[in-house]
Amino acid sequence: MTELQENSHPHHLAKRPPRSLAEWVSFSIALCIVSVIAALVVYAWASDRDRPAALAVQKTEPIREVNGQFYIPFEIANSGGETVESVQVIAELKIGEEVLESGDLQFDFLSQGEKESGVFIFKRNPSAGQLVLRVSSYKIP
Amino acid sequence: MIQSYRNRRSSSWIAEFDDLIRGASGGFLFGIPLLYTMEVWWIGSFAHPIRLLMAMILTFTIVFMLNRTDGFRKSSNTQASDAVIDSIEAMAIGIICCGLILVLLREITWQTALSETLGKLIYESMPFTLGVALANQFLGGETHSNNSNNPNQKPSDQGRLNATFADIGATLIGAMVIASNIAPTDEVPMLVAAVSGLWLLAVMLISLLISYAIVFQAGFAKQSQRQQQKGIFQRPISETLMSYLVSLFAAAVMLVFFSQLHLNDPWQMWLSYTIILGLPATIGGAAGRLAI
Repeated sequence: MTELQENSHPHHLAKRPPRSLAEWVSFSIALCIVSVIAALVVYAWASDRDRPAALAVQKTEPIREVNGQFYIPFEIANSGGETVESVQVIAELKIGEEVLESGDLQFDFLSQGEKESGVFIFKRNPSAGQLVLRVSSYKIP
Repeated sequence: MIQSYRNRRSSSWIAEFDDLIRGASGGFLFGIPLLYTMEVWWIGSFAHPIRLLMAMILTFTIVFMLNRTDGFRKSSNTQASDAVIDSIEAMAIGIICCGLILVLLREITWQTALSETLGKLIYESMPFTLGVALANQFLGGETHSNNSNNPNQKPSDQGRLNATFADIGATLIGAMVIASNIAPTDEVPMLVAAVSGLWLLAVMLISLLISYAIVFQAGFAKQSQRQQQKGIFQRPISETLMSYLVSLFAAAVMLVFFSQLHLNDPWQMWLSYTIILGLPATIGGAAGRLAI
C-alpha cells in the first residue's frame, strides 16, 4: 500500500471533493449506455418469447463455374425467436428422380434473426437438373 | 481569477479523462483473455434475456462492493451513492471497450442479430467490468514519490543500455505469459478467418493505443518513473512502438511453439496470426513493464 493511499483512506468522507461537471457528464453518458443495453435486453425478452426457430435456405448470387466446378452460394436465415445449434443444410442435384450429386454443410449457431452464408461445390452443372437446398436438422441448445 | 477558474475546470476534465482511461486499462488487463475465448461468445449467443439481465445485476453488485473499498478513481468511495455512480460508469466502460474489441475482431457485425450482440457484449463485459473496478488494486495508484529519479541526471551509456534490456525483458515476459495462454487455442485461426485487410491495420492501431494508455496514461504505479526511464527508447511513443514489436515477436514465438505456425506457411498467414495474437500480447507486455 502506498503512502498516499494510506493517508487518503481514513478520512475520505471529509476529503472526497464534490463531483465536478466532468464527472457528472461522464456519469450521464454511462447511465445512458447502461440503460439502453438493459432496455434492449428487455425488448429482446419481450419480443422473442416462446417463438420456435423458423429456418429458410435460399440461393443468393448466380452460380459460377471455376475450373470445371460449380459454386452455389446460398444464405440461411432464422426468422424465429429461438437460437438453434448444429444446423444441417443439404443440397441435392436431381435429374429426373435420380439424385446425381449431393452435399451437406453444418452451421454451429443460428440465433434469432441471424443470417449466415455458405457455398456448395458441385462437379455437375446444376442447371442441367433440379437443385434442391433444404435444412435437414438442428439441435436445441 | 477567471484564469484560475478555467484552469480548475480544464484540470477536472483531464482528471476525469485519466480516471476513465485508468478504468479501461484495468479492464483490458483483466478482460482480454476472455475476449479471446470463443465459448464466451457462444454462451452469449444463445443466452436467454433473463440470464443477461441477471448477469448485469450480478456484475453491478460485485462492482458496487469493490467500489465501496477502492474503485478505478484516485479518490476512494465509501458513500453508497458514490459507489453506485462509479459502478454504473464501470459497467459503461466495460460495455464500450468490449464492444470496441468485439467489433474489431468481427464478432459483432451489422449481420449479427440483436440478441446475439447483447449476449456477447454482456457476457464479455462482465470480467472486463470487474477489471475496471479492480484497476487500482491491480498495479497500485500513482505515488508521485519519484524524488529519487532526478530527470536532470545524465545517465551513463551503460545504465541506459541496462534499462533498455530491462524494458525489453519485462515486455517479453509479460507478452509471453498472455500469448502462451491464448496461442494453443483455436481462437487465433478462427479470428484470423474473420479479420482481414483494413481490420488488421485497425487491430495494430488499437494495440498501440491500449499499450500506450496502460503504461503512460492510466496513472498506474511507476508511471512517472517510466516517463523518466533512461532507456534508449525512453520517449513514450518510441517505447510503445518498441514494446509492440517485442510483443509481436513473443506472439510469433508462442504460435510456432504451439505449432499454430510452421516455417512453410505463407507469409500472409504469419502476419495475420501474429497481429491477432499481438493485441493481447501487447497488453501483457505493458503490464510486464509496469510490474518491474
